[in-house]
Amino acid sequence: MPRRWLNPTAIAAGVLLLAVLVMAVVAPIVWSEKADAVDTDQILQGSSAEHWAGTDSLGRDIFARVLVATGLSVSLALAATAIGISVGIVLGTAPMLFGTSPAGVRAGRLVTAFVNILVAFPGLLLALFFAVVFGVGATGALLAIGFASAPSFARLVHTLVAGIAERDYIAAARIAGVGRVRLLVRHVLPNIAEPLVVNATMAAGGALLSFAGLSFLGLGVQIPSYDWGRMLGEGLGGIYVHPSAALAPGIAVIVAGLAFNLFGEALARAVGLRNPSARPHRTPVAPAVSTSDGAAVLAVEGLRVSYGAVTPVRGISFAVGRGESVGVVGESGSGKSLTALAVARLIEEPGHVSADRLEFQGEDLRQPKRAHRKLLGTSLAMVFQDPMTSLNPTQRIGRQLAEVAEQHQGLNRRSAWARAVDRLRAVRVPDPARRAKQLPHEFSGGMRQRAMIGMGLMGTPALVIADEPTTALDVTTQKSVLELLRELREREAVALLLISHDVTVVRQVCDRVLVMYAGRIVEELPAASLTTAARHPYTRALVAAVPDMDTPRDRPLATIAGRPADPAALPEGCAFAPRCPLADERCAREDPPMVAGVACWKAGAVIAPDLQKRSEAAS
Amino acid sequence: MSVLDFDRVTVTFGRHTVVRDVSLAVPEGAVVGLVGGSGCGKSTLARAAAGLVPLAGGRITVDGGSPRGRISMVFQDPYSSLDPRMRIGATLAEALPRRTPDRKSEVARLLDLVDLAPDRARMYPHQLSGGQRQRVAIARALAGDPDVIIADEITSALDVSIQGTVLNLIRELHRRMRLTVLFISHNLAVVRYVSDTIAVMQEGRIVEHGPADDVLSAPEHPYTRELLEAVTP
Repeated sequence: MPRRWLNPTAIAAGVLLLAVLVMAVVAPIVWSEKADAVDTDQILQGSSAEHWAGTDSLGRDIFARVLVATGLSVSLALAATAIGISVGIVLGTAPMLFGTSPAGVRAGRLVTAFVNILVAFPGLLLALFFAVVFGVGATGALLAIGFASAPSFARLVHTLVAGIAERDYIAAARIAGVGRVRLLVRHVLPNIAEPLVVNATMAAGGALLSFAGLSFLGLGVQIPSYDWGRMLGEGLGGIYVHPSAALAPGIAVIVAGLAFNLFGEALARAVGLRNPSARPHRTPVAPAVSTSDGAAVLAVEGLRVSYGAVTPVRGISFAVGRGESVGVVGESGSGKSLTALAVARLIEEPGHVSADRLEFQGEDLRQPKRAHRKLLGTSLAMVFQDPMTSLNPTQRIGRQLAEVAEQHQGLNRRSAWARAVDRLRAVRVPDPARRAKQLPHEFSGGMRQRAMIGMGLMGTPALVIADEPTTALDVTTQKSVLELLRELREREAVALLLISHDVTVVRQVCDRVLVMYAGRIVEELPAASLTTAARHPYTRALVAAVPDMDTPRDRPLATIAGRPADPAALPEGCAFAPRCPLADERCAREDPPMVAGVACWKAGAVIAPDLQKRSEAAS
Repeated sequence: MSVLDFDRVTVTFGRHTVVRDVSLAVPEGAVVGLVGGSGCGKSTLARAAAGLVPLAGGRITVDGGSPRGRISMVFQDPYSSLDPRMRIGATLAEALPRRTPDRKSEVARLLDLVDLAPDRARMYPHQLSGGQRQRVAIARALAGDPDVIIADEITSALDVSIQGTVLNLIRELHRRMRLTVLFISHNLAVVRYVSDTIAVMQEGRIVEHGPADDVLSAPEHPYTRELLEAVTP
């Protein structure tokens, strides 16, 4: 995306780098003569109109020499970087090329260990060592700096390759009999090129500085050639008399070094971090008009979540009664998770939430208030899909639970811990007093999910929002976690909002089901009648698409034709119309309103078998 | 006659034994389902057959010979199993045997097999949906004309609505081409739908193996019963 490039730093860096590179090519051709012209009448002059940066001990124009030296300085830096990156790629990919045979693995480890040792040495020390080995002079310095930068490149390549090598497409290519070298060239290198180029650009800046350093010390470029480092060294002797002789090459080094580094930074930002581009404008929230009805824990009306111009949740309304269990089902991208996050006030910029009504426990959540934090912290519990990432891996389970009680209920350390143990017992963690002292990695997936639920129960929640709580779990564990949720609901009178793509999961736990499609609720019905009395064609297709233990094996599964709706390009009429076997002209033209629990012009119409068939072929 | 044969296979990672002494036969033209919880070793067994993991003991054979080049695999995550920098056509062509005369028409034939239009060959993976990517992965698995296809959790990363189309495709291909398939999944209902026989794996061992109907209607091992209880509400 070009707009990611358009920030002042990136533009300045690009222009600067381009100028340096053009100068490196052009200057030696244009100003060589002037730079080499010896004028014994003008020895060691200060700056003047004729010689901007003065003259050196042979009366040569220093400014011209600085410009001409750009060529040698920059090309040496680039060549050194090229050496570094080439050697780095060879060393970094060696472990992969050696293969997985025992001998290969051993050789690979040897190379890695060698690289690890080299990385531990400071770069300049290595460069000095190599400079002595390769002899004093430009070639020696080139090899020295090149090889000195190789270890860090090798390390980088090794890490990147290790990340790529685990991808399944590498395994697939290996199974297809693709050789290691081809694997490397075709699959690995193209996929690590971006970070490598970014690092190479910055390394070129570093190499430029190193060259200046070596030449300054007299280990680099030798007479009669000259680069910025040597000029700096020569000029330094008379810095009090003719400061410009040392300052001019010094400034050149800084400018060129900055150009490389800033450009590298800009590149890194362009390929890596994606800046949120459009900030949504905050629309003023309408004053609350509704009276809160005491029965509902959560009342939502006209909830919308938008990211810039895209609105993935398009005005949904529902309520969750005290102790009620409501399921939300839909495909990925239907907006079901965003709905949950919006209710818990967890949507962050650039996302924007608006609603005609958003009440939790009778409290209007739309106005940002500090008090909400406490209310949400104690009365609302959130359980996410992946319990591994939602727990801090370095802290004991009991501590993490206790922290909640300390924060929101003001309990002291000891009683908070006691409550944590009690809550772990409540979620059926065996031997809770001992388990509370363990770290998350000592818990199995199911146990971690229990601990997460237990964390939600540290307060006295009125509502638990569970977003795909069992998707990452085994079937056997899945069942026990669902049973736990069901049991807690009865015992603690907690309402539950369960979000899942799996109709069977929702059916097991919930009283009522909301079916979402393209950011809207398209049907609302009792969970018990999901399989028998669903009226929206989408709900029926969703139910039929999931094989269960009674699905006839001799017939193809029902499927939903086409792709899920793209929230950025919704059709004019019913969003499901393009995939619907029943859709006609009206469906394509007019968006159906929610009437008696279903938003469909054809609600309840019979889907003829041949239409079902057609939808299969089209997918 | 069995095509893919695991004979007392053991796989270890360091000091951990992940697959213990597993013997399993996948007969020609059959779909054998392999179910088990996460970490039971079912995926490791698959990777061992594909030559991605070395064996610590036992033997894996195809038709009595080396499995090398005769097994192909479809992976779980359609987002990580296709090279993002390579066009679909190139990905498929790479998996074709070396001396394929008309690669272009062969790629088109493969895409047609999995119900994708031939112009998809020019696209990159990110231009396809998850279900379409999984179809490409299946087409790639068919490219080398393998004796056995191993499908490792190929529907678990997909939406339920797309899962159905992929399962239908596998069944259809099996019927049409007499494919031999080792179908691995943690979802018993999915395995039941596509498999002729079902093997149940727990903690690195196969604890039960038999015709699908027998295993499901009269499970012998307690773990199989536990799995069955978990899916029947």
